[in-house]
Amino acid sequence: MIEFPPIPSWDGLHPLIIHFPVGLLLVAPVFIILSLVSKRSGRAYAMAALILMLLGTAAVFVAVSTGEAAGQLAERTPEINRVLTHHEELAETTRIVFSVLTAAFALILFGPKLLKRELGRVPSAVLTLIFLVLYMAGALVLSNTAHNGGTLVHGYGVHALVDTPAATGQAAAAPSAPSAFERD
Amino acid sequence: MKTILSRPVLTLTAALLLGALGALALTAAPASSTPPKTLENLQAAFNGESNAHARYLAFAQKADEEGYGQVASLFRAAARAEEIHAANHAEVIKKMGGAPTADIQKPEVKSTRENLEAAIRGESYERDTMYPDFLKVARQERNRDAIQTFNYAKTAEAEHARLYGNALQNLDSMKGAGKGTYYVCTICGYTTTKLDFAKCPSCFNPVDKYVQVD
Ligand SMILES: [Fe+2]
Ligand SMILES: [Fe+2]
Repeated sequence: MIEFPPIPSWDGLHPLIIHFPVGLLLVAPVFIILSLVSKRSGRAYAMAALILMLLGTAAVFVAVSTGEAAGQLAERTPEINRVLTHHEELAETTRIVFSVLTAAFALILFGPKLLKRELGRVPSAVLTLIFLVLYMAGALVLSNTAHNGGTLVHGYGVHALVDTPAATGQAAAAPSAPSAFERD
Repeated sequence: MKTILSRPVLTLTAALLLGALGALALTAAPASSTPPKTLENLQAAFNGESNAHARYLAFAQKADEEGYGQVASLFRAAARAEEIHAANHAEVIKKMGGAPTADIQKPEVKSTRENLEAAIRGESYERDTMYPDFLKVARQERNRDAIQTFNYAKTAEAEHARLYGNALQNLDSMKGAGKGTYYVCTICGYTTTKLDFAKCPSCFNPVDKYVQVD
């Protein structure tokens, strides 16, 4: 019989969603580079990059919101609090940076058409290259946020509260030691 | 393509999907057994916070009488935080079908130095023993509301203990000084001397949720 996984709560969604921005937003620049080197399909690659950025940025918004919900239920010590707050700040910065970057790339793609002023191939490539450099700075912020989140989970053992089959309805049978299960 | 994806087929598919999701939601919902231990712990915490609120207000009055204006401000800020914790606990108790009740004792007021020492003992107990134990049970019982309200309180109590410790250390130099300024988060009761952040470090709500206490 096919078994469906339980529908996660909003705070429990954080560990699932966080992989999306990392994957989508770090793959997007590959498509930007392809758009620069491909003579025939440049525009299509650029569009693919924009779609990845839009999806990735949307995922950042969900990640920040679910992360705040998860953080409210997380294990707290002054040390964890410090790392958690830093992670929150980094995530906020990531959200702003990729909102701006995605809007800027959309402007590079559609701006000339909207203004009815075609940019030449060379100025357009230079603009895209400058964008790519800025994007790398954004990717660094994203990587730092992800690394910081990884430290929280794997270094400090801070987990989102995810319902496990054993936990639902069998609260009394749960182990009393602060295991990964208990805090997961 | 057009014949396969005709309107009735699409409607049927959507209905089936919705039905499957509904069934999934029903089976995924945890059994609704009342977790009596967490309710009991919430009542104990509500009683503790309500008493701490009354005690700190009495300590604040004493500190003012003795000329420790800044310590009085700290006690008032902590009292406001405890009031917020009590209200948060009460909300969860009501949500679980209980009625929050507190037995407010007459506060035992001594000198400000002794009051600070007593306050540190109380906050340290809540930070190191009471709330960690309550959180352990709430986690076992998967009670998200209780985990949140206990977490908010535990984080704030740790900060209170630290602030009281600083005050006790510098008590002699504080004599005769004017009032102090503290900020308290109205959502989680986090207490601080500086609003050098955009979001509350404990509950992540915007900094405009803070109130000034002096
Ligand atoms: Fe409190
Ligand atoms: Fe707060």
